[in-house]
Amino acid sequence: MLEIEIDGQLVNAEPGEMVIAVTDREGISVPRFCYHKKLSISASCRMCLVDVEGAPKPQPACSTPVADGMKIHTQNDKAKASQKAVMEFLLINHPLDCPICDQGGECELQDVAVDYGSDVSRFSEGKRIIAPSDIGPLIQTDMTRCIHCTRCVRFGSEIAGIMEMGGTGRGEDLKIEPFLKEGITSELSGNMIDVCPVGALTSKPFRYELRSWQMNSINSIARHDLVGSNLYAQTYKGNVKRLASGDNDAVNETWISDRDRFSYEGLTHDNRLLAPQIKVAGQWKEVEWDVALDFAVKGLKNNILNSRNVQKLGGLASATATTEELHLLQKLLREMGCENLDYRLNIKDLDNAIHLQSNIKLADLEHIDQAIVIGSNIRLEQPMINHRLRKAQLAGAGITTLNVKEFDFNYKTNDIIVAPNEIANTLAGVLRVLVEKSAEEVPAYLLAVTPCAQAIDIASSLLNSDKTVLILGEHVVNNAQAASIANLITEIAKLSNSLTLNLTVTANALGAQRVNFVPNSTGMNVNEMLAAEMRAFVLLDVYPEYDFHHLDEALNTLLNNDVFVISLNGFKNDLVAQYSDVMLPMAAMYETSGTHVNINHEMQSFSAAVGAPGESKPAWKILKVLADLLELPGFHYENSTQVLSEVAHQMTPVHEYDTAINLDKSTVEVETIWTHSPYHTDALLRHATSLRASKIGQINTASINAATAKSLSLSDSDTYLGVPVDITETMADQCVFISSNQATNTGAL
Amino acid sequence: MINSIKKLAKNLTLSELRSGMKITAKEFVNTKITVQYPEEKTPISPRFRGLHALRRYPNGEERCIACKLCEAVCPANAITIESEMRDDGTRRTTQYDIDLFKCIFCGFCEEACPVDAIVETQIFEYAFESRDGSIMTKDRLLKVGDDNEQAISKARSVDAKYR
Repeated sequence: MLEIEIDGQLVNAEPGEMVIAVTDREGISVPRFCYHKKLSISASCRMCLVDVEGAPKPQPACSTPVADGMKIHTQNDKAKASQKAVMEFLLINHPLDCPICDQGGECELQDVAVDYGSDVSRFSEGKRIIAPSDIGPLIQTDMTRCIHCTRCVRFGSEIAGIMEMGGTGRGEDLKIEPFLKEGITSELSGNMIDVCPVGALTSKPFRYELRSWQMNSINSIARHDLVGSNLYAQTYKGNVKRLASGDNDAVNETWISDRDRFSYEGLTHDNRLLAPQIKVAGQWKEVEWDVALDFAVKGLKNNILNSRNVQKLGGLASATATTEELHLLQKLLREMGCENLDYRLNIKDLDNAIHLQSNIKLADLEHIDQAIVIGSNIRLEQPMINHRLRKAQLAGAGITTLNVKEFDFNYKTNDIIVAPNEIANTLAGVLRVLVEKSAEEVPAYLLAVTPCAQAIDIASSLLNSDKTVLILGEHVVNNAQAASIANLITEIAKLSNSLTLNLTVTANALGAQRVNFVPNSTGMNVNEMLAAEMRAFVLLDVYPEYDFHHLDEALNTLLNNDVFVISLNGFKNDLVAQYSDVMLPMAAMYETSGTHVNINHEMQSFSAAVGAPGESKPAWKILKVLADLLELPGFHYENSTQVLSEVAHQMTPVHEYDTAINLDKSTVEVETIWTHSPYHTDALLRHATSLRASKIGQINTASINAATAKSLSLSDSDTYLGVPVDITETMADQCVFISSNQATNTGAL
Repeated sequence: MINSIKKLAKNLTLSELRSGMKITAKEFVNTKITVQYPEEKTPISPRFRGLHALRRYPNGEERCIACKLCEAVCPANAITIESEMRDDGTRRTTQYDIDLFKCIFCGFCEEACPVDAIVETQIFEYAFESRDGSIMTKDRLLKVGDDNEQAISKARSVDAKYR
């Protein structure tokens, strides 16, 4: 610990710290543009010049390390004069277009210019102008305003992992621009808007709409993935107008993914369900809430309660719902005596479901030495988790991926391409090596396994590293050996002392597990319900063509006239309208209070940032009133916090599952892995126009290698299950990997 | 005693009446300052803060760029602005309302305006016949500006050297 003196005040500092970090901690204001606490130091703007006693010239606070006994003046004449001089230089080329600049009011340059700028410009020469360029549907550029702080460039190369922005030219001709014509395509690109201190990079969907001072900023949580990024919902007149990243080092540091940042556009989409509707004689009729709820209760009574066949009632929910909503729905069903409930709608075979716990914290992920990523395009599917892995890799960790396709990671990986039916075998090979090394007895199922070279490599990398993590991704959820793969990973983790991360679920699935939104042994799971003769369903936020794996069976069951279906949805959907008998409009993300359980098993509660539009209501209220009308006990809630208090201290129930490992390969000739493209994973994202228009939103390909394409007689211009074929050599044999922005075409799966 | 004698002397000499009549006689011959409004009008300062107007550039383009500084500075919260990107990519208002019931005619809006779009004209003779007449919409404000552009620009040029 060193002691330094800043403006006559003695403060402590860590050796190696920069002066600006100390002043920030002590609350001493030093103006700056290029310095950002999460980015490397470039010292290019020179705005943070301070006077250091003994130094002949003023020193930049951001790149001057502290030394014992250092005396620093941030406010004396020398410091002030140099800061003012720098400000004058920065303003030479900066246009005076604050009135039409979206950054106006929240602009660092504007703020600093008020303190350090001069009233009158001495510059009478022509200002530099940079022609506008289009870098994609998310970020608006006006590079004439750029002050060359290079925060966006450093963000790209250090955080996003692809240096899409860069400086070309020198001096007066220096331009910050994307190197490629296609502009900015990174999954974290929106953070450039936050880091840009001026109006050079601003949000395109938000362009020219509002001033920062017109909006309220409300802390909220993004619920599109397992991270639950902290962010601010900025609202105006009852609408979310913009989202900005929040700070939470345990969760998202200070970054959020584009998916979290731009999904709010869906909230005001025309396709919102705004009024309760009931189906009378096949015709939809908009009605008041009490009529709709009475209709729903009457339907439940007629079909279920009066005839006491409560086992013919089912409750299904998507994992995007809040923990409170899921808790209330399961409580409602269980109070009626119904045990048929499930959220795992996308699983083909629930007897073969993955059981794998996540026991690593996000912040620890960046300190690991070795990670094995199995079946995941983690960069696009869980961008903020990938960011932590990237940091680990840059710090020297080895990342091995075991995928059916070679994905584009933004860090160095050791990619192993295996066919879906070889994943289990490869892992079994790893396990065999580990078992042999540990001198334990080789279990029967491993006797026939001969570890391949890659398996030996993986095993030795696990043994040679201290902190290791095994990450299982969503591509294996419907693998024929999914359960075995998960069990193999558990075994490998035990022997290699690794931690595990289960990314086969997303959104608030951990919340669903916490409230036990799965049937016990007496109830039916989703696939059993769809095969059984049911009489009534309560569906929470379900969009069949995207959520169900067994869409045909689901529609068969739900479209049956004898089945009474109550749907709670935020958006209109044709299939929902076809099978439902009553549609209740529910509040979407940011419109309801609730709780998200993230990968750290942390419960992050949030309040509603805006009211629900039209007649729609938060789903927890709808379920509470429904329960009251059904005269069920224990639903006297006044707010969602009371709902949460029932589950807040509840541990996630542990369910018994089959730990057997079966290494019999599937005999399917061509395996198809269907995934939703990253910006189509939930209803809100599917309605976010700008995200859909971005490059990642446009992803719609069935990747397939040439040999397999030939055997299926497919060419580049064909479609496979309705998805355009992309023939690539970095694919495993005999399998098709689909990442699609279309509805699931499960007919052939 | 002495007071009642003084009072009596005043009453008998009619001194108060005479001093009053002196003023009357003086004003009788002096120049009149009463203006026969509305037939006659007093001259108005170029800085007069009357009815608001939105101005246009000579080419017909509206000046307002929706920077919302007037809305922010307005002490009475009388201004409401909604903005968007117009098809040609420029920043424009879709709504610009001034509630004249709220407005206190302080002139901060015209002072804040970076493009001299919102101005307070010398018009002070106006009335509304309905409640919503007090809301000056963008169209009405532009109409006031169009109809009085000459007077507005003249007032501005006269006052320019003091700004």
